[in-house]
This record gives sequence, structure tokens and C-alpha cells, in this order.
Amino acid sequence: MTDTAERALGQATPLVSSPRARRRSELTRRDVVVSTVLTGAATLPTIALAFLAYEMLRSAWPAIVFNGTSFFTTKTFTLGNLYATSVETHHGYQAAAGAHYGVLPFVFGTVVSSFIALVVAVPVSVAGALLLADKVPARLQGTLGIFLEVLAGIPSVVFGLWGVYTFGPLLSRTVFKWMAALHIPWLSGPTGAGQGLLTSSLVLAVMIVPIIASTSRELFRSVPVLSKEGAVAMGMTPYEAVRVVTIPFVRTGIIAASILGLGRALGETIAVLIISGNALNLYPHSIFDPFSTMAASIAAILDGALTDSTHMAVHALGEVGLLLLVITLIANLGGRWLTRRFSTTGLPVGRGV
Amino acid sequence: MKRLILLALVGSVALAACGGSSNNASSTTSTTAGTTTTTSVTVTTGNPTAAVTLNEAGSSLLYPFLQELVTPLHTQYSNITLAPSPGGSGKGISDAISGVVQMGGSDAYLSPGQLSANPGLMNIPIAVSAQAVNYNLSGVSNLKLSGDVIAQIYEGKITKWNAQPIAALNQNVTLPDTTIVPVRRVDSSGDTFIFTSFLSATNTTWQSGPAFGTTVTWPAAPGELTANGNPGMVQTCKATPGCIAYVGVSAEASAQTAGLGEAMLENKAGQFVQPSSDTITAAAAAGSGNVPANLAQSLIYEDGAQSYPIVNFEYMVLKSSQSSSDTALAMRTFLAWAVDPAGGSSSTYLAKEDFVALPATVLPKVKAAIAQITG
Repeated sequence: MTDTAERALGQATPLVSSPRARRRSELTRRDVVVSTVLTGAATLPTIALAFLAYEMLRSAWPAIVFNGTSFFTTKTFTLGNLYATSVETHHGYQAAAGAHYGVLPFVFGTVVSSFIALVVAVPVSVAGALLLADKVPARLQGTLGIFLEVLAGIPSVVFGLWGVYTFGPLLSRTVFKWMAALHIPWLSGPTGAGQGLLTSSLVLAVMIVPIIASTSRELFRSVPVLSKEGAVAMGMTPYEAVRVVTIPFVRTGIIAASILGLGRALGETIAVLIISGNALNLYPHSIFDPFSTMAASIAAILDGALTDSTHMAVHALGEVGLLLLVITLIANLGGRWLTRRFSTTGLPVGRGV
Repeated sequence: MKRLILLALVGSVALAACGGSSNNASSTTSTTAGTTTTTSVTVTTGNPTAAVTLNEAGSSLLYPFLQELVTPLHTQYSNITLAPSPGGSGKGISDAISGVVQMGGSDAYLSPGQLSANPGLMNIPIAVSAQAVNYNLSGVSNLKLSGDVIAQIYEGKITKWNAQPIAALNQNVTLPDTTIVPVRRVDSSGDTFIFTSFLSATNTTWQSGPAFGTTVTWPAAPGELTANGNPGMVQTCKATPGCIAYVGVSAEASAQTAGLGEAMLENKAGQFVQPSSDTITAAAAAGSGNVPANLAQSLIYEDGAQSYPIVNFEYMVLKSSQSSSDTALAMRTFLAWAVDPAGGSSSTYLAKEDFVALPATVLPKVKAAIAQITG
């Protein structure tokens, strides 16, 4: 039928060829409003991330030009002499006399502390979640689960204070002394009073355990009971049942949860600021030595950087922040790649059962 | 006739009392090479017509003193409320520059770069304070240290308390074989500024290396710890046997309670002194002879047998042009009252924090600076 004929017949829905156009013409005004609002809400995170990245780049640009590649190759981060009368100039940008910005010790501290935290937290959370989901009597599951959730909600500054006043000194007097007595290279040395790399990593581990454990617990609960019962019926021991049936089901989910935890550990600022000792321009000689991370250093140095009349110090901290953003994105994307690599259909068929 | 004159006098006094502001004119006399010139500095002060809150942020060394002044200031001038907060001198300076607070508290004077980048930014001293070096060694009291030795400790060159340079200064004291744990401030701090100024004045390696500032590049001393604010320094040192920390005198009472020892520092004349009102006053007097008009003056390592080596002016950093005339009036009034011995600079308030009043020679320049605040 032609269009005029359709209209003459007073049809509400004109017959048009494409289903898409038909769908669009069937929408009421409310549909349109809702879909617009939802589209806006969905694109907001992308816009926010893009805006954040743009602003970070803009703030870091003078430092990027000033530093060049020495930012990634030197281990000295100094604001220079803010009370000198002369300034340094590189590539058209000015900085305080003697200023030099190198990020290597910060990257080292961030990556190593997050890695140690992950190595400690993942086995603990996965084992704990497994116990909570399968082995603990049902009447206790609720209560213990609540403790886990509460741990996730504790502010990080509380963790920092607890770490520096209680946990750190306790560890340095007991566990660290025993470790140091073994004289393993890099794991021995003066144990200090609580501020250091291992204490910070352990507190970070405590902070990321709830994230990984809650997610893992839900994953373990979602494993089909039939498969678990089948394993028991076949005569597998509990360990074998977990290894052969449960783990392949939840493997990708656990990796994803670990990446979430890693993201938190990479960006943790206040707790690390209080516990790390903020050692500048040196690599920790032992696992008990003070160190510094990118996030904590930005927070620590910012006040001083704001007094720099050339403003280059703030731009340099912006460059550190930009690098942290890039590292976090890489960690997230790497995690996604990892989950895709290890993903299965869920059934451990043809995987060496 | 006489009654008329008396009536007129009483009437004018009554009018002046009812009025919102009064004029305080102070005449000062300066003597140069035999001639006497009198400069009259008029600072307009008084209670503003509307309530004004003066927000202050910055030095944790100055903070307890400002806290003491809040109530008496408000009692004297009911429309002025002072709202101090700590955060470190660097924060005080940067907040004052950006306008987040009206006044920044700082133990450090402004740098040439800051002064040239911000015309109209001023630092006005209101008191003289000092800094002690505390240590955590049980059984050792009145330890003698020199700036050179302390610089080497913070450079990581001296690592044990019974090392030769320290033992040489303390002949009749048995020093334990404990590792020295230096503690430094992590926030941008005026205490760091005066401490590193002292180290720069006494150790050439330090002068050419980290030099001085509210934030410096600390050398990599093994095991060095960080703390936030003066109370944080006391806490960290208390928890760490063998520590050495620099603590402002306003926190010395808590350092004594925590069981930390106070070192006797070698001054320029070779005497070992501790901070007390006598030694601080001596240093301030020795250093106030030639204060520049912008009042940026260091009082570190001054001459004099009695002078304590780590002494400094406590500055309020602010902009000379304020947003409203009420704010400017409130600021001038607070500052003039704070340096007045009958007001904020009375011994009751100062002694509680171990501060001393500004030397009399500096007051005319301070008043001249206060008079420049307009709104």
C-alpha cells in the first residue's frame, strides 16, 4: 500500500519496511524520555573518564615537556630549592633551581606492595570464601558473612592508624624478628617499629580480602549442586572435588575479583601514607624498610608543591597521577584479557578430568 | 565657661565611646647615626560593624598559641572570631596565596619567588618561637649535640648513638649502642624550614645538598621515619627507641610527658643551650638588628653566648588588599592586638607555649606592615 492510502485508512502504525523504523514509530513519549535518560546515564562514566584523562594530561603537560624521558629513568624526585632566587629552564618551562622529577622508586613501591598484598590476600580470601560457602555450618554462615562485609566498609584511614600504632609494632616485635633471624636475602634487616614495606603490604592485604572473599563466596555458592554431588558420588575426596569441579567453574570470577582488589591496592593512598614511612629517592633494601608509592607521595608532597612559585612541582605531581591512572587502566585491561584467556564454559569437560 | 568646656569634654568622650571605631596612633622613634627621626604609624583598629570570622590555617607550631588567643580576642572585640587550624606552614602559605583562608600561619618567611609572583602578599610576625631536638634514649639526659652532628645523622652518616662524633661532645655520658632512627615531617612544614636552616648554617654538605625549605629532598638515611605535625613527631618518637626528632617548643610539654629528652644544642659562640625564654630572647634580640621592610628575616644560629640556635619569627601570611573593609579592619585589629603586650603578647599566653614577644626594635616595622592592610 502507498503511504497516502495508509494515512487515508487512519492506521496508527504505517507499514514501513525496516523493523527498526517500525520499533521507533511504536515508541511513546515516555519511552523516549526514559531511553534518553538511560543513555545519558550509561555514557556518563565514559564521559567522566575521558574528562578526567584529559584534565590529567593538561595538568601534566608542562611536566611531560620539562622532564622528557628522564621521568621514567631516574630515581630522584626533588622539588628543588624553593627558596633560591634562580630558576631552571628546560624546553621552555621553568622549575625551581635544582628540581628534578623521576618516578622510578614510586612505581617500584606501588607495584611491589600491591603484588605482595595480592599474593597474601588471594589464597586467604579464596580459602575463606570456600569454607564459608561450603564447609561452615549453615547457622554460622550468616554471622561470619556479616563480619566479612563489615571489614569491607572500614575506612582506609582507620586501617592506617591501626597499622602504625598497633599492627605494625606488634609485627615488628614478633613475626618480623623471626623472619629476620632466618637471614634470607631481602627478608632480613632492621625490623624497625612498624613503618615499612611488609607492614603496608599486609595492611593492604587485609583491606582487599573482603573484596575478593565476598565475590568468591557468591561464586562458590553458584556452582551447581549436581556437579558437586556427582563428584562426591564418584568417590572424590573433598580436595579433589574442589580442584576438579568447583575451581574451574569459578576461576574467571576469582581472577576478576582479584583484579578488583589489585585496583584498590594500587590506588590506596591514606593508609599507605601513614604506614609506609614515605622514604624518598631510595629503593627499600629489605622488606622491612620504609618506601613510598605514587598515590601516597602525591598526597604527601602536594602541600609543598603548592608553595612552588613556578608551579612546575604541581605539574610534576600531575604527571605522577597520570602515570598511576595509566597503570591502573593497564592492570584492569590485563585482568580482562586474563579472564578471557582462562574462561571456560563452566563444565570441566575435556580438561584432564 | 568652665562648665561648658567640661560638658564638651564629657560629650566628646561619650561620643568616642559610642562610636564603632577608634584611631590608635603610635609614634615611633628611630635613631640613625646621631640624628633622631620620628615616624608616626597610624593603624586603624577597632571592632568591625559586622561579625567577621578570620580563617587561619597552617603552622602546627603556631596553632596552640592561636587557639589560646581565640577567647580573649573575642572578649575584647565581640565582632571578631579567629578560627585557626593546623596543617603545616606550606599549607598555610599556599592557602593564603590561593585565598582559601584569609591568613596563613607559617614559621617560614616567604621565598623571593613567592613574593615576586604574588605582589601584595605579606608575612607579618606576631611572636618569636623556637624548636627543640628531642631524642628517645632512656637514662640519658642533657645530651649535647651540634648542628654538624645532627646534619650527619640525617644524612645517614652517623647511625649509632655511641658513634665517635656524638661521644666526643658528651665525654662523661655513657651512650648506648642503639641505632639512631631519624624522624622527619612528611607535611610541608615550617619546622622543617627552621630545622634545615639550622643544618644548612652548620654543615656545608647539607647547605649544598638539601639546603632549606618547607619541603626539602631529605638524604636517604636508613630507617628514617615520617610523622605528621608536631604531635605526630612526639608520638612517633615516643614509640621508637633511639629516635631523634625536631619538635616545636609549643609541643615540648607533651614531649616531656612522653619521656623524651631535650638536647642541648651548640650555638655560634660554642655554648650548649636549651630553649628557654632567656635563650630565645637573646637570639631574637641578636637577629633583629637589620630586619628588612618585608619582615622576611631568619633568626637561626645567631651570635651571643646565650642565644639558642633554632629560633624563628612566627608569621601570619596574608594579602594586603582584602575583599571588604570589615575584614581588613578585623585583620588589622587582630594583628595589632596580638603583638600588644597588653593583648595577645602578654606573658600568660606566650609562656604557655614557650614563645617570647617580638623584640621592641621590630615593632615599628610590624605596625607599618599592618597599616598596609586595606579593604
